[in-house]
Amino acid sequence: MNHNYVVLGVSLLVWGLLFAWILRVEARVRELEKR
Amino acid sequence: MVLRVLLFLWIAVTMVIALLRAPLVPVLEETTRVLYFHIPAAWLTVVALGWSMINSVIYLVRRDLRADDHAAAAAELGLLFCIGATVSGALWAKAMWGAYWNWDPRETSIFFVLLIYTAYLALRGSIEGEEKRARLSAIYSVAAFVAVPFLIFVVPRMYATLHPDPIINDRGKVDMDPMIRWCFLSMLVGFTGLYVWLQSLRVRVSRLERAAHAA
Amino acid sequence: MPATGSNSAAAVWTILRKECRSEWRTRYGLNAALLFAVASLTAVSFAAGRLSDRTDLLAALFWIVLLFATLASMSHAFVREVEGRTMLLMRLVASPTEIATGKLCFNLLFLLVVEAVTVPLFLVLTGAPPVRWGTFLAVLGLGTISLAASSTLVGAVIAQTRGRGALFAGVSLPLLLPVLAAAVAGTRDMWASNPVASSVRLLAAYAVALLSASLLLYDHLWED
Repeated sequence: MNHNYVVLGVSLLVWGLLFAWILRVEARVRELEKR
Repeated sequence: MVLRVLLFLWIAVTMVIALLRAPLVPVLEETTRVLYFHIPAAWLTVVALGWSMINSVIYLVRRDLRADDHAAAAAELGLLFCIGATVSGALWAKAMWGAYWNWDPRETSIFFVLLIYTAYLALRGSIEGEEKRARLSAIYSVAAFVAVPFLIFVVPRMYATLHPDPIINDRGKVDMDPMIRWCFLSMLVGFTGLYVWLQSLRVRVSRLERAAHAA
Repeated sequence: MPATGSNSAAAVWTILRKECRSEWRTRYGLNAALLFAVASLTAVSFAAGRLSDRTDLLAALFWIVLLFATLASMSHAFVREVEGRTMLLMRLVASPTEIATGKLCFNLLFLLVVEAVTVPLFLVLTGAPPVRWGTFLAVLGLGTISLAASSTLVGAVIAQTRGRGALFAGVSLPLLLPVLAAAVAGTRDMWASNPVASSVRLLAAYAVALLSASLLLYDHLWED
């Protein structure tokens, strides 16, 4: 059971960071498109 | 914004269920979890490859640079997913069968796709001039399209018959448990959504680059 | 200007003759290719020793030597035009398809000449067992056609880029892997006295597919 939680934690963390990064990229793209 | 949050939750929840609730596959035991990443990644490399090639044909027919944007973006994203699929596959193979690489039919196929992606992107990198780059890489893409059915379906079978692999990956058995199947399909959908999002973003960046060059 | 079938064939023939003549004048490309083929063959044979009983290895090494010879010698066919700036002249008298087809025929001839030297040498140096000539030549011939077809198309593309030999090899490889696999299997089966029908069929199918795609693609190679 321990393994699972660790793997899950890492996966969610990675996914969360990736998601946040993509949002930032998209925000910057949107900003550049407005100009 | 709603869609993005939905995508985030979709994948996150699938992860939770897959890792905490879904049972393990008898043969695979602990390594079962890899399939939730590995197979969707492999699926997406093929989808991206197909999308890239279709857009290459569209470019050659219509000479619309937007098609080229899509072809290039799909190739870049496809490469990322392909690397993910290949590495996760190799790690899985090591855990399951003791060796990172066996030239097993599936491994061979994914490796070939990796070669095609890298060749395509290397080719693009060596050409200056938008239209020329678009045209020449589209030509290569179509040529590679001819090779793909041979590489993915025929060649691996030939190797299998000559170097009998005693540890054939019986993928069929994996999806028998409904819970596993649902989690896996859900992950597939989630990954596809992620890909669509990334693809559109990458194309938008390409357009911005072109506008910047023109200015 | 491209017109009827007979004109096309005449144009292709002219291009072929022109290529042969250019090559024969300097013979630089042919000499270099032969030298490279013999050199790699020597390296392989020297390192591996006599392989009379390992026909599986022999088949693999045979095709690897041929593959390397192709990759080393085929990239220059179109480069000559770029450097000599003769492409514009050629395009005044022939369509892209005719030019490329002429080049294809030349490349095929070129590879056959290189093989005429390399193959017997290989068989002798490695102490290969007796060959079933009909089968062997069928596999060799069909494989060579695909090698030439792929090299012509990729060569035409690469000539217009900043890349050269290494890029040519890297870009060609995915297209040549099916040939490699089927040809090695066919050659191995030939020596093992197994049926080679499936390999031959594969090689033929691939050659046809590649040639058909090439004919469609040649038109897009050069634009102005």
